Amino acid sequence: MKGCARYVLMAGIIAAACSIAMPTRADETCLSPYTAALIKGQEAYLHVWTLGEKGVGDESDKLVTIDADPKSKTYGTVISSVSVGGRGEAHHMGFTDDRKYLWAGRLDDSKIFVFDVGTDPSKPGLVNTITDLPGKTGFVGPHTFYAIPGRMVVGALSNNKTRDGVTGLAVYNNKGEFLSEHPIPAGNGGDGYGYDIAINPKKNVFLTSSFTGWNNYMTDLGKLIKDADAMTHFGNTMVLWNLKSMQPEKIFSVPGAPLEIRWSLREGDDWAITASALTSKLWLVSHDANDEWQAKEVGMIGDPAKIPLPVDISISADAKTLWVNTFMDGITHLFDISDPTKPVQIYEKVTGKQVNMISQSWDGKRVYITSSLLENWDRKGADNEQVLRAYDWDGKDLKLKFEVDFFGQKLGRPHHMKFSGPLDKASLDTPGRAASG
Amino acid sequence: MTKRARGARLFRPCWKSLIAAAGIFAAVLPLRAGESTGPPPPGSYTLDHIQRVPAGIVLEGTRFPRALSRYTTGAITLLAFFYSYCADPNGCPLAWAAFENVREGIIARPELYGRVRLVFMSLDPAHDTPGMLRGFARRYESSASIVPWHFLTTYSNLFLKPVLRDMGEESSIDREASAGVVINHLLKVFLIDNHGFVREIYSNQSLDPAMILGDIKTLLLEESKSSGHKE
Repeated sequence: MKGCARYVLMAGIIAAACSIAMPTRADETCLSPYTAALIKGQEAYLHVWTLGEKGVGDESDKLVTIDADPKSKTYGTVISSVSVGGRGEAHHMGFTDDRKYLWAGRLDDSKIFVFDVGTDPSKPGLVNTITDLPGKTGFVGPHTFYAIPGRMVVGALSNNKTRDGVTGLAVYNNKGEFLSEHPIPAGNGGDGYGYDIAINPKKNVFLTSSFTGWNNYMTDLGKLIKDADAMTHFGNTMVLWNLKSMQPEKIFSVPGAPLEIRWSLREGDDWAITASALTSKLWLVSHDANDEWQAKEVGMIGDPAKIPLPVDISISADAKTLWVNTFMDGITHLFDISDPTKPVQIYEKVTGKQVNMISQSWDGKRVYITSSLLENWDRKGADNEQVLRAYDWDGKDLKLKFEVDFFGQKLGRPHHMKFSGPLDKASLDTPGRAASG
Repeated sequence: MTKRARGARLFRPCWKSLIAAAGIFAAVLPLRAGESTGPPPPGSYTLDHIQRVPAGIVLEGTRFPRALSRYTTGAITLLAFFYSYCADPNGCPLAWAAFENVREGIIARPELYGRVRLVFMSLDPAHDTPGMLRGFARRYESSASIVPWHFLTTYSNLFLKPVLRDMGEESSIDREASAGVVINHLLKVFLIDNHGFVREIYSNQSLDPAMILGDIKTLLLEESKSSGHKE
């Protein structure tokens, strides 16, 4: 094309761009809104951050990759396992914004492992281990890994002095270099506790939730619940932050350890939902009539008196439904949240003896469940099954497609899951990139 | 009693004490008067030193080599990678529109004259030659003394790739795309301070000209504070 024609084309493009509204955030239902290369079709691989188990296989924490493509000959089987050495309470993971790397944390020794999942997602490789979080910040227990452009926000659970739940956020660049720390407010109604992070870029805000500290999450559950003082050391707050300034703006009282936070992905919505683990409630964070952010209880999960312990939640892309796993009774619940102020449970099924994490595909047709909560909190004896189960959801029932027995295969305890797409020809040069010319 | 029911009951003894400790109240506790969740006032926050811009060789207008640092130090720089035939509305054109808006914002604020430069650097050095990019630069020559807009390229991918890799902006060519040749890349716009440090990175989720102008003022206030001058 000659130069002149190019100017005409570019002028047209500029004019078009100027008239385009800012795009809404887009997630693969529960990822950072800055994550590239969303998988809106069939996921190819399932990465599972797995706790090593004494006497099981190599006893090491590991990243296990499972073939999730039904058309593949190895569908439903483990195709890769990368051991990182030792056991440190492997827990959650998060992609970098370019989806090329997967950061995975350990709650006990506070190590952060960075896996290359872009070069070949069927064979992730360990490329970096970050060990300076406690030294740089005093925070321990890196839990949430939430991508922002060129950086990773790490939400911690505890600190290296009192080892209670007072903690904060740390920001690293994508090379793994520490940049800054942001304590969660303690005082003025804040408890200083942390857990999840969820950003709404359009509103320039993010939310954090609160769980408990090292003293509790590393203690055997049976012993913990007999310790009345320890049981008071759980988070009871959520915090609304200004995203640009990374300053806390408002503290909400949300009793009973509010955990995962999910913003609605529906165009025009500006609300988030969370579940409080100990009080078994759903809470909504949204604007009130005065355009002020508020948090309010909107529903119950199971029978709160039985302490079912809701753990992970997964919102559908259209924000009409919400999956909730309750750990103690092994039930997977589905709520209709088309009116988020009045969630209604529309389905439930026992999916295991203990169930923790739940991840769904963008189209909502596939649901994956893992069993492990924390090494010292998992159930004992025959109830301590350690599995990943994959289901199809047809709108009426969860139908089991495959399961992987993590103890049987000498892998460990499966916890957090992330999807990868296929390695296609276009991405051979720099895989894992969005086609966003 | 089933094992499951026994498990559920484990929590009961401490339930009441937990509720009491938690204090069931729907309080909202603002940390300061009023909400301030919009763009914060310039200078009221700090931007991280995310990374230093790497060294590189670039071309502007001619095939004479120049150091990339010439375009990333000595003034506040807004830099994006682009290619001239990019047509994805969520890609380069979005960045272009944001740069246009920032440029207009600077022209409207005399205190910013000569303090900021705009830089577009091509992802396709084989196609986007210095001569070809001269045409784009010409369009903005009239305001170059207020806010220059540089259109850079380099000799080849051999020179380009290390810069992209270091900036976290690697790209790949998709020759089988339905729209013709497409260069896959993640839209990132880099705000760089006087000393060549990346201080903010914007994506298509955060490419807000008002926020960018606020960040530019924040960097200028930071500089004036460190040099003892009143901004």
